[in-house]
Amino acid sequence: MEEEEWSEEQQRFSYLQRLKAAVHYTVGCLCEEVASDKDMQFSKQTIAAISEVTFGQCENFAKDLEMFARHAKRSTINTEDVKLLARRSHSLLKYITEKNEDIAQLNLEKKAKKKKKLEDENRNSVESAEAGVEESEN
Amino acid sequence: MEETGAVFRKELVSKLLHLHFKDKKTKVSGDALQLVAELLKIFVVEAAIRSVRQAQAEGLAHVDVEQLEKVLPQLLLDF
Repeated sequence: MEEEEWSEEQQRFSYLQRLKAAVHYTVGCLCEEVASDKDMQFSKQTIAAISEVTFGQCENFAKDLEMFARHAKRSTINTEDVKLLARRSHSLLKYITEKNEDIAQLNLEKKAKKKKKLEDENRNSVESAEAGVEESEN
Repeated sequence: MEETGAVFRKELVSKLLHLHFKDKKTKVSGDALQLVAELLKIFVVEAAIRSVRQAQAEGLAHVDVEQLEKVLPQLLLDF
């Protein structure tokens, strides 16, 4: 029993480490881009520190988002909640709002494409069915 | 700002958020996940660029933890 509990805790720990590694990887890529852009190298410790801060910041984000959604009597976090998260800086709020509109636009286009494709498929199947009927009539 | 190729994956963002939710029933919409990923990217890039600027002001050739430490308080106030 005791052994089982211990392994559960260990599992949670290794899961956390894996998530941290994933964050570290992305932070590394982003820092690399900034480094080549600004022609200035980052030490490994700096990248590790930024990763750790980012991981910690996720906790703040998650707790805020959950509370925003609950305040609006929802159990699903939507983009309005995320916009509220960026309230502290004017330019950040503006950027996130623009990004939100971009994402919404992209989704709309995707949906339209999907619908068109579906309609085309339906038309094709109807046509082939009609062709089949004609063939059988002959 | 420069075009960045690296992004936080939606699956990762989802797992990171669900780690800290108090209510297990809390869900996140797909668009919201994408937006949080963008926010995290800005956070990281901002941390990096501010550290670079600090290192430049100090006349250093590369960025170390000390420069990050100096810009961190204001960064955390901005997010």
